[in-house]
Amino acid sequence: MATHAFKINRYNPDDERRGHYMQEYPLDVQKGWTILDCLNEIKWKQDGSLTFRRSCRSGICGSCAMTVNGVNMLACETQALTLKSSTIVVEPLRGYPVIKDLVVDLEPLVESLYAVKPYLITKTPLPTDQERFQSPEERAKIDGLYECILCGACTSSCPSFWADKKYIGPHGFLKAYRFVADSRDEGTREHLEALDDKHGLWRCHTIFNCVEACPKDLNPTKAISELKKELVREKIG
Amino acid sequence: MRVIKHYRVHLGTLAWILHRLSGLALIFYLLLHIWVIHHLIGGEESFDGIMERFNNPLFKFLEVGLIGVIMFHLFNGLRVTLIDMGVLVERQKLLFGIAVALWLVCWFVISVAMISRFGGVPFS
Repeated sequence: MATHAFKINRYNPDDERRGHYMQEYPLDVQKGWTILDCLNEIKWKQDGSLTFRRSCRSGICGSCAMTVNGVNMLACETQALTLKSSTIVVEPLRGYPVIKDLVVDLEPLVESLYAVKPYLITKTPLPTDQERFQSPEERAKIDGLYECILCGACTSSCPSFWADKKYIGPHGFLKAYRFVADSRDEGTREHLEALDDKHGLWRCHTIFNCVEACPKDLNPTKAISELKKELVREKIG
Repeated sequence: MRVIKHYRVHLGTLAWILHRLSGLALIFYLLLHIWVIHHLIGGEESFDGIMERFNNPLFKFLEVGLIGVIMFHLFNGLRVTLIDMGVLVERQKLLFGIAVALWLVCWFVISVAMISRFGGVPFS
Protein backbone atom coordinates (compact mmCIF):
# COMPACT_ATOMS: atom_id res chain seq x y z
CA MET A 1 0.00 0.00 0.00
CA ALA A 2 1.54 3.26 -1.14
CA THR A 3 1.75 6.13 1.33
CA HIS A 4 0.45 8.78 -1.06
CA ALA A 5 -1.90 9.17 -4.00
CA PHE A 6 -0.85 11.73 -6.60
CA LYS A 7 -3.73 13.07 -8.67
CA ILE A 8 -2.19 14.78 -11.62
CA ASN A 9 -3.85 16.86 -14.32
CA ARG A 10 -3.23 15.27 -17.71
CA TYR A 11 -3.75 16.89 -21.07
CA ASN A 12 -2.46 15.75 -24.42
CA PRO A 13 -2.85 18.26 -27.28
CA ASP A 14 -2.86 15.35 -29.73
CA ASP A 15 -5.93 13.89 -28.02
CA GLU A 16 -8.27 16.90 -27.93
CA ARG A 17 -11.32 14.64 -27.60
CA ARG A 18 -10.20 13.42 -24.19
CA GLY A 19 -9.36 16.95 -23.02
CA HIS A 20 -8.19 17.45 -19.43
CA TYR A 21 -8.48 14.61 -16.97
CA MET A 22 -7.02 13.64 -13.61
CA GLN A 23 -4.83 10.55 -13.40
CA GLU A 24 -3.98 8.93 -10.10
CA TYR A 25 -0.55 7.50 -9.28
CA PRO A 26 0.21 5.67 -6.01
CA LEU A 27 3.64 6.50 -4.59
CA ASP A 28 5.68 5.59 -1.52
CA VAL A 29 6.97 9.00 -0.49
CA GLN A 30 10.25 9.02 1.45
CA LYS A 31 11.18 11.65 4.03
CA GLY A 32 12.82 14.63 2.36
CA TRP A 33 11.33 14.12 -1.10
CA THR A 34 10.14 17.25 -2.80
CA ILE A 35 7.09 17.33 -5.08
CA LEU A 36 9.58 17.44 -7.96
CA ASP A 37 11.29 14.26 -6.67
CA CYS A 38 7.86 12.60 -6.54
CA LEU A 39 7.01 13.68 -10.09
CA ASN A 40 10.39 12.36 -11.27
CA GLU A 41 9.74 9.01 -9.52
CA ILE A 42 6.38 8.77 -11.28
CA LYS A 43 7.83 9.76 -14.65
CA TRP A 44 10.84 7.46 -14.42
CA LYS A 45 9.18 4.39 -12.90
CA GLN A 46 5.47 4.55 -13.69
CA ASP A 47 4.58 6.71 -16.67
CA GLY A 48 7.16 8.17 -19.01
CA SER A 49 4.52 10.24 -20.78
CA LEU A 50 3.97 12.54 -17.77
CA THR A 51 5.18 15.98 -18.80
CA PHE A 52 6.39 18.85 -16.60
CA ARG A 53 9.01 21.58 -16.67
CA ARG A 54 11.97 21.47 -14.33
CA SER A 55 15.53 22.58 -14.50
CA CYS A 56 17.62 23.68 -11.53
CA ARG A 57 15.75 21.75 -8.79
CA SER A 58 16.89 24.35 -6.25
CA GLY A 59 14.44 27.25 -6.42
CA ILE A 60 16.49 29.44 -8.75
CA CYS A 61 15.13 28.94 -12.25
CA GLY A 62 11.38 29.08 -11.59
CA SER A 63 10.55 26.39 -14.15
CA CYS A 64 8.56 24.09 -11.89
CA ALA A 65 5.88 26.47 -10.54
CA MET A 66 2.60 24.56 -10.37
CA THR A 67 -0.59 24.33 -8.34
CA VAL A 68 -0.29 21.75 -5.58
CA ASN A 69 -3.36 21.08 -3.43
CA GLY A 70 -4.91 24.33 -4.62
CA VAL A 71 -1.93 26.64 -4.00
CA ASN A 72 0.83 27.78 -6.35
CA MET A 73 4.35 26.80 -5.36
CA LEU A 74 7.65 25.56 -6.73
CA ALA A 75 7.64 21.76 -6.91
CA CYS A 76 11.38 21.66 -6.16
CA GLU A 77 11.11 23.70 -2.95
CA THR A 78 8.16 21.90 -1.38
CA GLN A 79 8.67 18.68 0.55
CA ALA A 80 5.74 16.34 0.01
CA LEU A 81 5.43 15.38 3.69
CA THR A 82 5.07 19.03 4.78
CA LEU A 83 1.71 19.13 2.95
CA LYS A 84 0.36 16.72 5.59
CA SER A 85 -2.04 15.17 3.12
CA SER A 86 -2.03 11.65 1.72
CA THR A 87 -3.67 12.89 -1.46
CA ILE A 88 -1.65 15.38 -3.47
CA VAL A 89 -3.38 17.11 -6.36
CA VAL A 90 -1.01 18.59 -8.93
CA GLU A 91 -2.32 20.97 -11.60
CA PRO A 92 -0.74 23.35 -14.11
CA LEU A 93 -0.63 27.07 -13.27
CA ARG A 94 -4.11 28.42 -13.94
CA GLY A 95 -4.82 31.34 -16.22
CA TYR A 96 -2.29 30.30 -18.84
CA PRO A 97 -2.89 28.04 -21.85
CA VAL A 98 -1.85 24.46 -21.10
CA ILE A 99 0.58 23.01 -23.64
CA LYS A 100 0.74 19.51 -22.17
CA ASP A 101 0.00 17.99 -18.73
CA LEU A 102 1.65 20.43 -16.28
CA VAL A 103 3.38 22.62 -18.86
CA VAL A 104 1.80 26.01 -19.53
CA ASP A 105 2.58 28.65 -22.13
CA LEU A 106 4.15 31.52 -20.17
CA GLU A 107 4.44 33.84 -23.17
CA PRO A 108 1.73 36.18 -21.76
CA LEU A 109 3.77 36.45 -18.52
CA VAL A 110 6.78 37.68 -20.48
CA GLU A 111 4.72 40.00 -22.68
CA SER A 112 3.17 41.77 -19.69
CA LEU A 113 6.65 42.11 -18.24
CA TYR A 114 7.84 44.00 -21.34
CA ALA A 115 5.09 46.58 -20.72
CA VAL A 116 6.87 47.92 -17.61
CA LYS A 117 10.25 48.22 -19.39
CA PRO A 118 12.04 45.87 -17.01
CA TYR A 119 15.54 47.29 -17.42
CA LEU A 120 17.67 50.12 -16.06
CA ILE A 121 16.86 53.38 -17.85
CA THR A 122 19.52 56.08 -17.56
CA LYS A 123 19.74 59.58 -19.04
CA THR A 124 22.93 61.05 -17.64
CA PRO A 125 26.04 59.75 -19.39
CA LEU A 126 28.12 57.13 -17.63
CA PRO A 127 30.91 58.67 -15.51
CA THR A 128 34.16 58.07 -17.41
CA ASP A 129 35.60 54.60 -16.84
CA GLN A 130 33.37 54.10 -13.82
CA GLU A 131 30.36 52.07 -12.96
CA ARG A 132 27.17 53.68 -11.67
CA PHE A 133 27.79 53.51 -7.96
CA GLN A 134 25.26 52.87 -5.24
CA SER A 135 25.67 53.32 -1.51
CA PRO A 136 24.90 50.28 0.68
CA GLU A 137 21.76 52.14 1.86
CA GLU A 138 20.57 52.72 -1.71
CA ARG A 139 21.32 49.12 -2.55
CA ALA A 140 19.29 47.94 0.45
CA LYS A 141 16.19 49.62 -1.01
CA ILE A 142 15.89 46.98 -3.71
CA ASP A 143 16.07 44.08 -1.25
CA GLY A 144 12.87 42.07 -1.52
CA LEU A 145 12.44 43.25 -5.13
CA TYR A 146 15.40 42.00 -7.17
CA GLU A 147 15.07 38.36 -6.02
CA CYS A 148 12.10 37.58 -8.29
CA ILE A 149 12.75 34.52 -10.47
CA LEU A 150 9.74 35.06 -12.76
CA CYS A 151 8.20 31.68 -12.07
CA GLY A 152 4.65 33.01 -12.55
CA ALA A 153 3.27 31.62 -9.27
CA CYS A 154 2.01 35.08 -8.17
CA THR A 155 0.23 36.21 -11.30
CA SER A 156 -1.41 32.85 -11.94
CA SER A 157 -2.80 32.91 -8.35
CA CYS A 158 -4.35 36.36 -8.85
CA PRO A 159 -8.16 36.56 -9.32
CA SER A 160 -7.73 39.92 -11.07
CA PHE A 161 -5.56 38.13 -13.65
CA TRP A 162 -8.06 35.27 -14.02
CA ALA A 163 -10.69 37.88 -14.90
CA ASP A 164 -8.48 40.00 -17.17
CA LYS A 165 -5.81 38.22 -19.16
CA LYS A 166 -4.29 41.56 -20.16
CA TYR A 167 -3.72 42.50 -16.51
CA ILE A 168 -0.02 43.17 -16.06
CA GLY A 169 0.06 41.12 -12.88
CA PRO A 170 2.02 41.18 -9.62
CA HIS A 171 5.24 39.95 -11.25
CA GLY A 172 5.23 42.97 -13.58
CA PHE A 173 4.52 45.42 -10.77
CA LEU A 174 7.25 43.97 -8.57
CA LYS A 175 9.72 44.26 -11.44
CA ALA A 176 8.60 47.82 -12.22
CA TYR A 177 9.11 48.87 -8.60
CA ARG A 178 12.49 47.13 -8.55
CA PHE A 179 13.65 49.74 -11.09
CA VAL A 180 11.64 52.69 -9.73
CA ALA A 181 13.26 52.08 -6.32
CA ASP A 182 16.74 51.76 -7.83
CA SER A 183 18.84 54.90 -7.17
CA ARG A 184 20.63 54.50 -10.54
CA ASP A 185 17.41 54.42 -12.57
CA GLU A 186 16.21 57.66 -14.19
CA GLY A 187 13.23 56.30 -16.10
CA THR A 188 10.46 56.29 -13.47
CA ARG A 189 7.98 57.79 -15.93
CA GLU A 190 8.76 55.12 -18.53
CA HIS A 191 8.27 52.31 -16.01
CA LEU A 192 5.02 53.82 -14.72
CA GLU A 193 3.52 54.56 -18.12
CA ALA A 194 1.83 51.20 -18.66
CA LEU A 195 0.72 50.93 -15.04
CA ASP A 196 -1.76 53.83 -15.01
CA ASP A 197 -4.26 51.87 -17.07
CA LYS A 198 -7.32 49.67 -16.68
CA HIS A 199 -5.08 46.63 -17.11
CA GLY A 200 -2.58 48.15 -14.69
CA LEU A 201 -2.21 48.95 -11.00
CA TRP A 202 -5.79 49.95 -10.29
CA ARG A 203 -7.08 46.44 -10.99
CA CYS A 204 -5.28 45.13 -7.89
CA HIS A 205 -7.92 44.45 -5.23
CA THR A 206 -5.42 43.63 -2.45
CA ILE A 207 -6.43 39.97 -2.32
CA PHE A 208 -2.85 38.96 -1.34
CA ASN A 209 -2.88 35.63 -3.20
CA CYS A 210 0.40 36.72 -4.83
CA VAL A 211 2.07 37.16 -1.44
CA GLU A 212 0.85 33.74 -0.30
CA ALA A 213 2.05 32.09 -3.53
CA CYS A 214 5.52 33.67 -3.91
CA PRO A 215 8.17 30.95 -3.36
CA LYS A 216 10.80 33.61 -2.64
CA ASP A 217 8.66 35.23 0.09
CA LEU A 218 8.51 38.55 -1.73
CA ASN A 219 5.63 40.99 -1.31
CA PRO A 220 4.23 42.22 -4.65
CA THR A 221 1.32 43.93 -2.88
CA LYS A 222 3.80 46.14 -1.00
CA ALA A 223 5.38 47.06 -4.35
CA ILE A 224 1.90 47.82 -5.75
CA SER A 225 1.15 50.14 -2.80
CA GLU A 226 4.43 51.99 -3.34
CA LEU A 227 3.76 52.32 -7.08
CA LYS A 228 0.24 53.64 -6.40
CA LYS A 229 1.78 56.28 -4.14
CA GLU A 230 4.33 57.09 -6.84
CA LEU A 231 1.55 57.60 -9.43
CA VAL A 232 -0.52 59.73 -7.06
CA ARG A 233 2.54 61.83 -6.18
CA GLU A 234 3.19 62.36 -9.88
CA LYS A 235 -0.40 63.47 -10.51
CA ILE A 236 -1.01 65.78 -7.57
CA GLY A 237 2.59 66.37 -6.55
CA MET B 1 -12.11 12.55 -12.66
CA ARG B 2 -12.76 16.21 -13.24
CA VAL B 3 -10.11 18.91 -13.26
CA ILE B 4 -10.26 20.63 -9.90
CA LYS B 5 -10.71 24.34 -10.44
CA HIS B 6 -10.59 25.21 -6.78
CA TYR B 7 -7.92 27.57 -5.47
CA ARG B 8 -7.38 27.78 -1.71
CA VAL B 9 -9.21 30.66 -0.06
CA HIS B 10 -6.60 32.52 1.97
CA LEU B 11 -7.57 35.14 4.57
CA GLY B 12 -6.98 37.98 2.08
CA THR B 13 -9.34 36.33 -0.42
CA LEU B 14 -12.00 35.96 2.26
CA ALA B 15 -11.65 39.66 3.17
CA TRP B 16 -12.00 40.62 -0.48
CA ILE B 17 -15.08 38.41 -1.08
CA LEU B 18 -16.82 39.73 2.06
CA HIS B 19 -15.97 43.30 1.06
CA ARG B 20 -17.50 42.76 -2.38
CA LEU B 21 -20.64 41.08 -1.02
CA SER B 22 -21.17 43.76 1.64
CA GLY B 23 -20.67 46.42 -1.06
CA LEU B 24 -23.34 44.79 -3.23
CA ALA B 25 -25.71 44.57 -0.26
CA LEU B 26 -25.17 48.28 0.42
CA ILE B 27 -25.98 49.17 -3.19
CA PHE B 28 -29.23 47.24 -2.82
CA TYR B 29 -29.98 49.07 0.43
CA LEU B 30 -29.24 52.46 -1.16
CA LEU B 31 -31.68 51.76 -4.00
CA LEU B 32 -34.35 50.80 -1.46
CA HIS B 33 -33.52 53.88 0.60
CA ILE B 34 -33.85 56.21 -2.40
CA TRP B 35 -37.13 54.55 -3.37
CA VAL B 36 -38.45 55.11 0.18
CA ILE B 37 -37.26 58.72 0.30
CA HIS B 38 -38.83 59.49 -3.09
CA HIS B 39 -42.25 59.11 -1.40
CA LEU B 40 -41.60 62.57 0.11
CA ILE B 41 -42.69 63.99 -3.26
CA GLY B 42 -46.15 62.56 -2.60
CA GLY B 43 -46.48 64.52 0.61
CA GLU B 44 -46.78 63.60 4.28
CA GLU B 45 -49.44 60.94 3.80
CA SER B 46 -47.50 59.05 1.16
CA PHE B 47 -44.28 59.11 3.21
CA ASP B 48 -45.96 58.07 6.44
CA GLY B 49 -47.68 55.26 4.53
CA ILE B 50 -44.43 53.79 3.23
CA MET B 51 -42.72 54.18 6.61
CA GLU B 52 -45.62 52.32 8.21
CA ARG B 53 -45.07 49.44 5.82
CA PHE B 54 -41.49 49.04 7.07
CA ASN B 55 -42.52 49.29 10.71
CA ASN B 56 -42.53 45.56 11.44
CA PRO B 57 -40.22 43.06 13.17
CA LEU B 58 -38.77 41.72 9.90
CA PHE B 59 -37.41 45.13 8.86
CA LYS B 60 -36.17 45.89 12.36
CA PHE B 61 -34.23 42.64 12.21
CA LEU B 62 -32.89 43.56 8.77
CA GLU B 63 -31.84 46.98 10.07
CA VAL B 64 -29.65 45.36 12.71
CA GLY B 65 -28.15 43.29 9.88
CA LEU B 66 -27.69 46.44 7.78
CA ILE B 67 -25.62 48.04 10.53
CA GLY B 68 -23.47 44.88 10.55
CA VAL B 69 -22.92 45.09 6.79
CA ILE B 70 -22.07 48.81 6.97
CA MET B 71 -19.68 48.28 9.89
CA PHE B 72 -17.85 45.45 8.09
CA HIS B 73 -17.53 47.48 4.90
CA LEU B 74 -16.33 50.46 6.92
CA PHE B 75 -13.61 48.71 8.91
CA ASN B 76 -12.35 46.49 6.09
CA GLY B 77 -12.47 49.57 3.84
CA LEU B 78 -10.14 51.34 6.28
CA ARG B 79 -7.86 48.27 6.17
CA VAL B 80 -7.78 48.40 2.36
CA THR B 81 -7.10 52.15 2.47
CA LEU B 82 -4.16 51.63 4.83
CA ILE B 83 -2.80 48.92 2.53
CA ASP B 84 -3.15 51.22 -0.49
CA MET B 85 -1.18 53.84 1.45
CA GLY B 86 1.55 51.27 2.04
CA VAL B 87 0.88 51.06 5.79
CA LEU B 88 1.33 47.63 7.44
CA VAL B 89 1.06 45.81 4.10
CA GLU B 90 3.22 43.02 5.53
CA ARG B 91 0.76 42.66 8.41
CA GLN B 92 -2.45 42.48 6.37
CA LYS B 93 -3.72 39.47 8.33
CA LEU B 94 -3.26 41.31 11.62
CA LEU B 95 -5.04 44.32 10.08
CA PHE B 96 -7.93 42.06 9.08
CA GLY B 97 -8.08 40.68 12.61
CA ILE B 98 -8.24 44.21 14.04
CA ALA B 99 -10.91 45.20 11.49
CA VAL B 100 -13.02 42.15 12.37
CA ALA B 101 -12.64 42.81 16.11
CA LEU B 102 -13.68 46.46 15.74
CA TRP B 103 -16.53 45.42 13.47
CA LEU B 104 -17.95 42.89 15.94
CA VAL B 105 -17.60 45.20 18.96
CA CYS B 106 -19.23 48.19 17.19
CA TRP B 107 -21.96 46.03 15.70
CA PHE B 108 -22.74 44.54 19.11
CA VAL B 109 -22.87 47.93 20.88
CA ILE B 110 -25.03 49.56 18.20
CA SER B 111 -27.32 46.52 17.97
CA VAL B 112 -27.95 46.61 21.71
CA ALA B 113 -28.71 50.33 21.50
CA MET B 114 -31.06 49.77 18.55
CA ILE B 115 -32.92 46.83 20.03
CA SER B 116 -33.46 48.67 23.31
CA ARG B 117 -35.06 51.54 21.40
CA PHE B 118 -37.27 49.51 19.07
CA GLY B 119 -40.69 51.00 18.69
CA GLY B 120 -39.14 54.08 17.11
CA VAL B 121 -39.40 54.90 13.43
CA PRO B 122 -37.16 52.83 11.14
CA PHE B 123 -35.19 54.49 8.33
CA SER B 124 -35.16 57.71 10.30
